[in-house]
Order: sequence, then C-alpha cells, then structure tokens
Amino acid sequence: MKRKLFALIALFTLCFASAAYADDHVETVLAGLDNPCGVAIQPGTGHVFVSDSAAAKIVRVVDGKAEAVITDFPIGVYGKGPMFNIGPLGLAFLDKDTLVVGGGGLADGEELLRVYKVPAAGGDAIKADAMEKSFKLAGSEELKGEGNFYALAKNKKFLYVTCNGDDTKGWVSRARIKDGALVNYKRFLATKEATEVDAPVGATISPRGELVIGQMGEISVEGDGLLTFYNAKNGKILLNLETGLSDITALAYCPKGQLYATDFVWLNTKAGGLFQLISKKDGDDQTIESKKVLDLDKPTAMAFADDGTLYITVIGTADGDKKGGKLLKIKAGL
Amino acid sequence: MRSLGSAFLLLLLVASSSASAQEYKLKYPLGLKKMKIPKDNPLTTAKIELGKQLYFDARLSRDNTISCASCHDPKKGWSNGEAVATGVRGQKGGRGAPTIINAAYQTRHTFWDGRAGQSKFGANDALEAQALGPIQNPIEMDLTLDEVVAKLNKIEGYRKQFQSVFGTDVTSDGMAKAIASFERTVLSGHSPFDKFKAGDEDALSEAAERGRKLFFGKANCSACHATSSFTDQGFHNVGIGMDKDEPDVGRFAVTDQLGDRGSFKTPTLREIARTAPYMHDGSLKTLEEVVDFYDKGGFANPQLDEELLPLEMTKEKKADLVTFLKEGLSSSDYPEVEPPKLPE
Repeated sequence: MKRKLFALIALFTLCFASAAYADDHVETVLAGLDNPCGVAIQPGTGHVFVSDSAAAKIVRVVDGKAEAVITDFPIGVYGKGPMFNIGPLGLAFLDKDTLVVGGGGLADGEELLRVYKVPAAGGDAIKADAMEKSFKLAGSEELKGEGNFYALAKNKKFLYVTCNGDDTKGWVSRARIKDGALVNYKRFLATKEATEVDAPVGATISPRGELVIGQMGEISVEGDGLLTFYNAKNGKILLNLETGLSDITALAYCPKGQLYATDFVWLNTKAGGLFQLISKKDGDDQTIESKKVLDLDKPTAMAFADDGTLYITVIGTADGDKKGGKLLKIKAGL
Repeated sequence: MRSLGSAFLLLLLVASSSASAQEYKLKYPLGLKKMKIPKDNPLTTAKIELGKQLYFDARLSRDNTISCASCHDPKKGWSNGEAVATGVRGQKGGRGAPTIINAAYQTRHTFWDGRAGQSKFGANDALEAQALGPIQNPIEMDLTLDEVVAKLNKIEGYRKQFQSVFGTDVTSDGMAKAIASFERTVLSGHSPFDKFKAGDEDALSEAAERGRKLFFGKANCSACHATSSFTDQGFHNVGIGMDKDEPDVGRFAVTDQLGDRGSFKTPTLREIARTAPYMHDGSLKTLEEVVDFYDKGGFANPQLDEELLPLEMTKEKKADLVTFLKEGLSSSDYPEVEPPKLPE
C-alpha cells in the first residue's frame, strides 16, 4: 500500500521549483477584466479563452486583445463580504471547436453546464443561450440542486466538473464524452464525505490519469485546503493530503509533470499566489510542502500551454473605475 | 457516582505506570478517528494527571473560586448549563461555555470566534493556545500569567510534578501543555450513531434513523456539522443575536472580513442532549427550539450563511431530528471524570 502511495505522490514531485519566480517572467496579457474565473487554451489555434465572469462573457485573446466570443451569461453574487459578481466559470475544450462552459450565475439546481460550437476568430460573438447543448443537476427529495460549476477537467472518456451546491456532499460531477459530445451528466464523487472538508474547486487530471481535486475548505479558515487523488474511473479515493494552503482555486500539471496550485486565501488575499506542491516524507507519512512561486492577487484559474507557458486569471484589485482582473502569462520554464 | 479509576476507564485510557515519560496510549471510542497531537506535547500519564489537577483547581483564578471545570463541568456536559459563562466575582461573560468534549479534534481554532489558533500549519496546538486564555480574562479567572505561575510555584505538589513532567518549575507553557493533554482525553464516541455506522442496523430507533436521514440530507445540518466530531471547524452566521442593536460580531472581530460578521465556530453535537442551553449566547433553551429556529431558515441578515434556508419540515420530521440528536449522539460511555485530589 505504501509503495503505491509513494509512486502516486511521485507524480507531482519530479523536481523542485526554483525560488520565487522573477517578475520579468510574468506578463500581463489582458487587464481590466471583471472577475475572470476560467481559462482554457484552444487546441489547434493556441488561442487563450477566458471567462470574463462578471462581464458575463467569454473572450479570446487575438493579437494581444480580448475578442468577445460568447456574451450575455447570467450573473450572480458569491460571498457575503467581500462579494464577487460571477457568471461563466470553468472552461474546457472537447475539441478545437467545442467549448464547455461551467455556469455560476444561476441558482443551485438551475445552473447550466453549456456546450458551444465557438465561432472562428474574427467572427461575431454568439449569445450565451445559443449553446448546442446544456445540462443541469436539479434537486430532488434527497439531494440539493447543484451550481457554481467552477473547474472543468477532462480525460479521453469523461469531463469532470467541481460543483458548489450541496455542502453536505461536495459533489464532483462528470459527463461521458461520446463521439465528441457530452452525455449522461451526473453527480460522481461526494468529496466532502470522502475528505470531511468542504468544497471541491480546483481540478485536473494527473499524468497517470488520476482525478486530482483541490478541496477549498472553509473560506473563513486558513490552511485547511486539501489535495486529493481519486481513481478517475470508479471514484475511489487514493490519497488525501493537507497542503497548508487556504483556498485552492486551481490545479494544473506543467508539461514536465510538476503539480501547481493557486491559492486565493480569502482571509488574507495578500498571501495568495502560485504554489508548487512538493512531496515530502515525515517518517512513514506523506506530506506536502507548498512552495510559493509567485505572489498573485486573488488567482482563480490557470492552464498550461503545450510549451509550458502558464496562463493565470486573477481578480486583482480595482483601480478606481478600472476593473482589476487580469490574464497573466508566465514564461515557460517553471 | 463512579470512582476516579472507573472514570478513567470510561475515558478509554489505558492505565500505565506513573513514570513521567510513560506514553499514554489512547484507545479511541468507536466512531472517532486518530487525533493529531502536537509533536512537542506527546500524551503521558503524568502530564495528563497534572493537567487534570490544573483543570479542576480554582486556585488558577484570582479569588480561588473559578476553575476550568466551573464552566466546563463534566456533570453538565462539560459545559455549565447556563446561557453564558460566569467568572470571578460573579461576572457574566457574553457567550456560552462550549463543551470541551472532543475538543481534541479542534486542531485549527478554539473559542467561539476562533481567536486562538494553531501556531503554524501542522502544529495542531490550538488547544494549547486556548488553555491560558480564560485564566487571563478579567471576567473569567483574572490572573496574569506571571501571577498564576508564581501562585502555583508556591504549591510544592505542583512544583514537584512540573519538575517531574517538564524538568522545570511551573511555567505557563507547561500549564498549557498539561491542560491540553488532559482535554485530549475527554472523548465521546461509541454512540448509537457510531454503532449504526459500523453496521448495527438496530442501533438507532426508527425515529432516530429518520432523523439521521434528515440530518445528513434535506435538513442540511451536516453542511456545517460535518466530520465524526460533527463540526467543520468553520465559522457561520446563522443569525442568532443579529436582531440586536449591537450584535456580537463574532469572527468578524478577529478577521475584519465583512463576510464573517456574526459568524461563530460550529460546535460539536456530540452529547448535545447534556449541553443545554444552546447557541453561542445560550438563547435557545431546548433542542426543539433549535430545530424550530433552523426550520425557519435562521434569522435573516446580510451575512446569513447560504446554507440556511427555510426547511418547512413537518412537526413529525422536526421531532425525528430532535430524537436523532438526543438519542443518536449520546454515548453510553460518556466521559465522566471526578475532581482529583489537588496538590498542597
């Protein structure tokens, strides 16, 4: 058993990151975004797509500028103070033209996971309701409805979605990918029952195929974020580790195989940042050292390009009327 | 009344020699997980015994009237049976005395507002951080640390035990470690709920089983009363006291986050039938009142927790929920402890 766990942990500990990444490695691609909460890279074109969440739209970066792709998403409010307007959240491409968008602007049970055929660059934007298909996880006598489809992660067979509706369960849902389309979207993993900690948010697939979930924990509690590995096929929990991070919002593996997390740190957003998660051994126990790579102002999502370039969305801090949201580009080499 | 010895058996501690460094092997009641104990404060027989003496000793207060046990009384569910805590000179605090049952599992924060927390990630020493707080609180025990250390160093029995356990005279650090060690032995598990979870389908009455389903389902209780300790260690605003002109702002005073205004730490529900009155201000006298309160969706205010919504449960469902709380979470192995002989 131990051997299995050590092999698993090795997946995200191939080498140590350097100390804090130099500022000259970081470039602001887009500024003035309004609570951006999702990022994905389009296969084939390499265009970066961003959920400009409170602006109710999905944009793509073309020649360094934001071009609206899908507009008029519903908007809701998250938090009790500070409060954030949110609309579209997680993004994932099923193929070059098929984009899945997790919603955050509707009530639990009414929220939609939407599938679009995206227009080519330079084409007219489409409306949010012009989706090819949509899915919801309605409530029932036994279950609360789901909403805030925050992070999307996929392998060849399934798309996984972190949900924030039923706090007694902490669902990760999934849909099968069949012939390039999503089918059979349903609740999959009750992460809170598995880990006894709230709120799955960050999600990715490990190089070996495990589903990796960042459990956010309570936003009023620091240091309770978990990293949990599950069998992506049957949902069996494989490994659950404390990270010392407070509010993990995104997880991603760089092409070299190292695992990174963004930490929002609601209670002290100045402590937020990008972290490499490094395996440690404490006697017979496995632990994690969360090594800070970059300071970030309210990071929300990230995605690696094939060449190792990392894109991160941050909510940032408004400057007067100018929104503080940014899309950051981190040079390859992490 | 049980003897001291049997009380220890009820705590499921395995008695061992009195050697100061003798490790105490804690046997966990059914349903409880292995706890995280600070590496610099391992459980030992002598330290737990010392901590128990300190816990029950009113000399830790200015006028020798208030001990930890005054407000966290084993005979009253390790709480005090009153709406708020009462300190030296009869002074009343603003909040109720939470039970310390299973406080060992509160590794991140203690106090209703979480103002005492672990010293660093993984230290798991929130209990140590809490232990000295009430001693220094002017309306609870009202002594400075220098005063209480000097006072206890005049008691030969304490000085000898501290030398044996810590190799020093009485220190505040040693006091905190000893009291926390004792508190880690006050455990409640092996309840009908735990037996049910372990596979005994007859452990819960029919009404309690219906209540269990509500608790973990539609009634949404387990959104916050999660884990085997029935607390998520988080802070939530349920609206209690928020109708006052100057409400107790709870966690907000610690974090300065608007979203924390009126939030208080989720208490454990283990042995809840013994710990009335309820809520952080003791304003609800019975579990029936508590369930009615939540059935209405708490008290509306801008920071009301999003998990609170009107439930519109029938009278029967509310009764089932209360039955689960009373029957399901009360252990036949309740941690009864008698006050020890105190050193002179």
